[in-house]
Amino acid sequence: MSDWLDLAALWRVLVASLVAGAGLAAAFSLALVGFSSGRVIGRVGAGLCLVVVAAGVVLGLYVMLRK
Amino acid sequence: MDANAVLLVVVVITALSFDFTNGFHDTANAMATSIATGALRPKIAVGLSAALNFVGAFLSLKVAATIATGIVETKAITLTVVFAGLIGGLAWNLLTWYFGIPSSSSHALIGGVVGATLIAAGTSAVKGQELVSHVLIPAVLAPLAAIVVATLGTYLVYVITRKVPDDVRGRGFKLGQIGSASLVSLAHGTNDAQKTMGIITLALIASNVITQDAGVPTWVIIASATSISLGTYLGGWRVIRTLGKGLTEIETPQGFAAESSSAAVIFSSSHFGFPLSTTQVCAGSVIGAGLGKRLAEVRWSVAARMGVAWLVTLPAAAFVGALAWAGADRIGGDLGVLTVFGVAALLSGALYLVSRRAPVNAGNVNDEWTGPVGMARERSA
Repeated sequence: MSDWLDLAALWRVLVASLVAGAGLAAAFSLALVGFSSGRVIGRVGAGLCLVVVAAGVVLGLYVMLRK
Repeated sequence: MDANAVLLVVVVITALSFDFTNGFHDTANAMATSIATGALRPKIAVGLSAALNFVGAFLSLKVAATIATGIVETKAITLTVVFAGLIGGLAWNLLTWYFGIPSSSSHALIGGVVGATLIAAGTSAVKGQELVSHVLIPAVLAPLAAIVVATLGTYLVYVITRKVPDDVRGRGFKLGQIGSASLVSLAHGTNDAQKTMGIITLALIASNVITQDAGVPTWVIIASATSISLGTYLGGWRVIRTLGKGLTEIETPQGFAAESSSAAVIFSSSHFGFPLSTTQVCAGSVIGAGLGKRLAEVRWSVAARMGVAWLVTLPAAAFVGALAWAGADRIGGDLGVLTVFGVAALLSGALYLVSRRAPVNAGNVNDEWTGPVGMARERSA
């Protein structure tokens, strides 16, 4: 089976995609919740979420450019 | 490898033409959802995508020296086979564009080369197992992976922001969508323009214009980047319409989740060495965005039509590639290649004229969905 399909790579792709795709989308959504809360703690949390999203984007660009 | 000045010029022009169709066929991957949700005006979206494709072409320096690497025997790839393969890929790109079907340009090119190789060098020159493991299995897995990621992403996005005021949510996700769509555009430029650069460089080496270790000439990089971004800017509105309006009705949060999913799957697959088609990933993400939202409707008939096209891509492009090689070989010499090139150009022009009978453009790309693009029952687009 491994000759036909690189299962190890496939699993890595799936896990990384779920973390980066669904995870970062969720983090961005949490940032919107924080910003709309009107509270300082909410805005701080939102800022942290956006930092996580920005880090994910930078990591993505790094991965793409080092090919 | 067979090489002369006429063949070299024809291969370069055909490669740049393929690059152009690659651009306008794949604009939809990055920008269809942004256009559908109104995050970007249509012309702005294709302009941004074109600019990022252009930049992307310069960012990745690793150019594939050959095409269909590992799938056909290297010794079997002559310039005429490359030319015929490009014609096969071009034909499939144009036909699927006419019908508004998102379809992988890479698979079309591989199909064209495989078909030309089969008829030029026989079945032993094509590695069946590699074809299955590198093209067919990933073709099934790409949309499935994207569907899973986008479904979960869309579900989370709606659940988390259910109490966020509509205006904040709409504005926020529009900004996020522009960012994630830009990433997909940039990735497209780094991946797809390289294919053309590789083909032209290969042709130049075979014709002794440059040496094996000379690297990619600057004019090849500029020509490839310009060609793909010009195609992107013209916008494959027919494919954009299917991806943005046909598969499901997309709201801003769905568009954001779909583009995030696409970017994540493309980057992950690139990083872990499991190449997946950008087109199939993006189409899967749009379907996932439809599945992840409660009560949203996925038009499975449109998805099925797309799935059938994906199944047919390889054999159809292979058939045209084989036909092109046989035609060039039968007539023989430069005349053979020029005749096939001329016929291909005429047929492409004819298809363009037919498409003008029911044009899809920036003005009507977001009209209410009335049926598949290019079909008789479609009226408004």
